[in-house]
Amino acid sequence: MNHLKFLLAIWKANLQSVMEYRVSFLTQVVGMMLNNFIYFAIWIVFFDRFKDVRGWGINDMYVTFGVLASAFGLVSLLFGNAFTLGDIINNGRLDYYLSLPRPVLLHAVSSRMISSGMGDFTYGFLSYAVSGPFTWDGLLRFVLAILLAAVVFAAFLILVNSLAFWMGIVSSFANLMLNAMITFGIYPITLFDNYAKLILFTVIPAALMGAVPAEYIRSASWQILAQLLLGAAILLGLAVTVFRSGLKRYESGSAIQVEV
Amino acid sequence: MNFIKKYWAIFQITLINSLAYPGELIGRSLMIVPFMWIFYQLWKVTFAAAGADTLNGMTLYSTMWYLMMAETIELSRPRLANVISDNVKDGSIAYILNKPYNFLLYQFSSSMGETVFRALMNAVFGGIVVWWLVGAPPAATGWAFALVALLGTWIMNFCIACLIGLSAFLVEEVSPFLWIYQKFVFILGGFLIPLDFYPHWLQAIAKALPFAYMIYGPSKLFVAPSVDLLANILSMQFVWIAVLGSILVLSYRRGVAYLTVNGG
Repeated sequence: MNHLKFLLAIWKANLQSVMEYRVSFLTQVVGMMLNNFIYFAIWIVFFDRFKDVRGWGINDMYVTFGVLASAFGLVSLLFGNAFTLGDIINNGRLDYYLSLPRPVLLHAVSSRMISSGMGDFTYGFLSYAVSGPFTWDGLLRFVLAILLAAVVFAAFLILVNSLAFWMGIVSSFANLMLNAMITFGIYPITLFDNYAKLILFTVIPAALMGAVPAEYIRSASWQILAQLLLGAAILLGLAVTVFRSGLKRYESGSAIQVEV
Repeated sequence: MNFIKKYWAIFQITLINSLAYPGELIGRSLMIVPFMWIFYQLWKVTFAAAGADTLNGMTLYSTMWYLMMAETIELSRPRLANVISDNVKDGSIAYILNKPYNFLLYQFSSSMGETVFRALMNAVFGGIVVWWLVGAPPAATGWAFALVALLGTWIMNFCIACLIGLSAFLVEEVSPFLWIYQKFVFILGGFLIPLDFYPHWLQAIAKALPFAYMIYGPSKLFVAPSVDLLANILSMQFVWIAVLGSILVLSYRRGVAYLTVNGG
């Protein structure tokens, strides 16, 4: 409960901080929504020409893109530093979080809000809205799927960036993995053979961020929800364990850092 | 001659800088590998589902090599707009302006130095993957024609990226313009799907805009080289460079006239 109160306070402060520059905030939100729409137009062109890919049609793409965009946006808004955790570790900027009586990982990743995330988050709902007839239980499943996909995504970012404790500079590698996660997450899962699917459920768990949540929304299957919950819990547990284990190796040059 | 020598020196310095961190260079270039693999999965299934070896004049082989060239171009683009925007916002543009070189030519030489090795590395990694997936690359003529058109692509990209960066004189945040530019390149440039697969009306729109001559042009020349196509691509690139270059020079002059730098 204490952690939740702490998080709410930090998110409120972050929101006030980004809203300080309202024009910039709005430009980024609207720009990101436009950006997502133009990007998605590729799929409209593709499915207009080829109709479906092994049973995967444009409506499936709307749902998958929707859940992926909203989950990405949610993590950008609430845990913006998860994207650059490797740099924070590598530059000795964890000193600041270590010196305060709050959970280090939670504090570090939630200390930044990325404005454009609001555009992604909102766009996801619009994409879902055009995917088919509206139902309240469908919307509820969509929200639940976003939350679980966001846990998967945040855990993956923490896991990859925590390698900085052992490897030093990991920004290129983390960027590569981030791109792979987003790229593989948006593509129809029916494209991939069993070996590729194994990779997409484990090493790069993109299926748990795109295809599986989308499948849960469409089918309302308890079994798929259980798979998603299990996957999210395992990844989160692994991410926290790896971060804590790396933290024992952490050392800094006592550089003076200012965290705003 | 001295005029060229100093920009050549700037190009060389950035080129050497880009080699200072080979791990970083290789790490970035490896990004093309998963992209090519996923494209192969998509187009293999698409061609199989259509039950045809050739669709709209493209085979799986030519589509994959086309996409390799398109990816190489896109992934090698330097972060020029962000650099210029940062220069404008933090005032460091003043540091460059008082040097004995032209700001725009300085940025061009510097960005080219950054682009060359990145493009080479992307082409090497992307080429290896595509070769393994669909077979040996197109004939030497394709390489030669694409290389000529690549220069036009880089100049056009420079003009647009500079314009976006310089818009920082007017707006606080240039990232949204950059995202939208990138997505126009994706769609109207034929970056993710060759323009040949588009409906005719969309092809006509795309070919009336500059983006098609930045990605589709060199990539198509690479897989289907012909003198006619080369002449068409180069002439359209020339027209767009003249238009974009003029807008850039005018915008730059206006922007500098508005510039106020406080402190030092």
